[in-house]
Amino acid sequence: MKFRSPVLVTSLALIAYGNAIAHHPILGKFDDGARVHIEGIVSYVDWRNPHAHVFVNVAEAGETLNWAVELGSPLTLEASGWSRETLLPGDTIVVDGLRARDGSRQVWGETVTKGAGGARLFALQTTPRISPAASRPTPRWPDGSPALGATPDSSSGYWSYPSKTALVEDGVEVAMNAYGLLETLDDAERVAPFKPWALALYRHRQQRQLRDDPMYLHCKPPGGVRQYQSDFGFQLIEDRESERIFVLIGSGNRNFRIIYLDGREQVGLVTGDDDNPLYYGRSVGRWEGETLEVDTRGFNEDFWFTEGGLPHTSQLRLTERFTRTSLDTLEYAVTVNDPGAYTRSWSASWTLRWVGNEDLPAHFCQHNRS
Amino acid sequence: MISQRAIAILILITAPCSLVLAQQGPANAEQAAPLPTPRTAAGRVSLRGTVPGTNGIWLPPPVGTPGTGTPVEEIPFQPWAKALYEERVILRLEPHARCKASGAARQFLTPYGVEFVEIPELSSLYILDIGGPHSFRTVHMDGRTHPANPSPSNYGHSIGWWEGDTLVVDTVGYNEDFWFDRYGLPHTESLQTVERFVRVNHDVMEYELTVEDPGAYTGQFTMAFELYFRSDEELFEYVCQQSNFADELMVGTEQTRTIDRSTRIVP
Repeated sequence: MKFRSPVLVTSLALIAYGNAIAHHPILGKFDDGARVHIEGIVSYVDWRNPHAHVFVNVAEAGETLNWAVELGSPLTLEASGWSRETLLPGDTIVVDGLRARDGSRQVWGETVTKGAGGARLFALQTTPRISPAASRPTPRWPDGSPALGATPDSSSGYWSYPSKTALVEDGVEVAMNAYGLLETLDDAERVAPFKPWALALYRHRQQRQLRDDPMYLHCKPPGGVRQYQSDFGFQLIEDRESERIFVLIGSGNRNFRIIYLDGREQVGLVTGDDDNPLYYGRSVGRWEGETLEVDTRGFNEDFWFTEGGLPHTSQLRLTERFTRTSLDTLEYAVTVNDPGAYTRSWSASWTLRWVGNEDLPAHFCQHNRS
Repeated sequence: MISQRAIAILILITAPCSLVLAQQGPANAEQAAPLPTPRTAAGRVSLRGTVPGTNGIWLPPPVGTPGTGTPVEEIPFQPWAKALYEERVILRLEPHARCKASGAARQFLTPYGVEFVEIPELSSLYILDIGGPHSFRTVHMDGRTHPANPSPSNYGHSIGWWEGDTLVVDTVGYNEDFWFDRYGLPHTESLQTVERFVRVNHDVMEYELTVEDPGAYTGQFTMAFELYFRSDEELFEYVCQQSNFADELMVGTEQTRTIDRSTRIVP
């Protein structure tokens, strides 16, 4: 008789759940050196952002203990074929994953195996749901200018699937996961031209596996470039009548910010009572041919402006360039100028993919937070 | 009772906003007659400023304004919903106070107000709120219908259209994680709302909400209030999470800082 793995012995469906550990500073909360295996009965499914939880009653030494199994976001799970009905209270499940560092009965679910018959297999989709189409022309407004979002003649949609998900100076290659956690801490100094204190802080944040991330802890906004680094995407709404562009932000707490194209002055950092430094800063933009160029200043220091925890100060100034080179492609380039944290200005760039005919996902970081 | 409740809710939810509250309300009540309702070049009602390209913020009535509370005696509660409502009135732990996006009428009852951005050429309308979640609702104006099985969300799935001078917005697909009014009327995922917006002049918009939720009520009911236009105001950044320390109200005490969710024991 051939060898059967423990999972197959139970003849259950396997819900494989691959690389989801990349999301958020999971390793800050869970210990990848402490694997745990539990079996029990589902008591509750909390299908909410940013992470779904499945609560499981487990019989241990004569008593029933309730474990919390943390999974990816409902959006990610849906993309993997899960639905809210995939697991229901009363289902028997087997979970393998990582135990919480604080010793509590929490586990990051790497595989969840369902015991209620049926041999369904779910695998996390890590590749975009849409395949790269043949190049379709950039949609344009009736006056010929390029459109960054929908036009009367083209579908609505939003931008997602960034080709880079963490900020690294153009031309530098360092190994890091999708959320900016370096594989080798010694690469830290190569990521950007840090001032010494900023490098020390970046290394500290990396050493703590990004667990101090204000967005992770308290749902602080994804200001700076971070809003363009998330799979939750963003939508650009051109309000041409009022010469402004709304950036509707799918990550964080589903905020919006405004880029003014009406020629107003960039007032920069304001510290009066009414106009304190901001999470999203003050943005003025103008079209340079096919490219929208945006100047943003006036940031506060209460958030991380990129995945991975690169420091910044209130002197941060971003120059962003948006160019829609085809219907499906948005080229994004940013120059970071922060003499408080970096020794010189530096640049990074990536592309984003158009997700047509879909609304921005309804993700609220605050959802299952306090 | 109303005023006591209003004061308590003021303190609990809007204390940081008292300066703005003091300014809001009918802006020109004792001044000249308001300007007529702005219209687009095509002759339709505009929810923006009179001069094309200008905008303004729609503010709610001051908290405690007579008639803006929930007409509790007229509401066809199911028993469980009545009991939950009565508990909420006592506890007042409104999700909005913890930065939760709160759909339907609650989106318009934030002290800083909202802006309506209709983009007719894109057949879409966006309702952007400043205070609270600092988020937005998309209203599809292109004639589509609701999806068959929308994923429940705080703002739901909204479709809208104009009936003469009335903007009608129909919404389904709500989750249960917010209060749709200020005082805690319960609802379920079966909630469907129809909102009617009538801009009666430059300064005033009548708002009416029709609630239908067979999960919580035995029949339909409506509530209504007015919104007031402030034409010299722009959307500005407001981040509820900046210093929100109400999280211990939700699931525990210090443990919430580390997002410990291990305490839930369900039989």
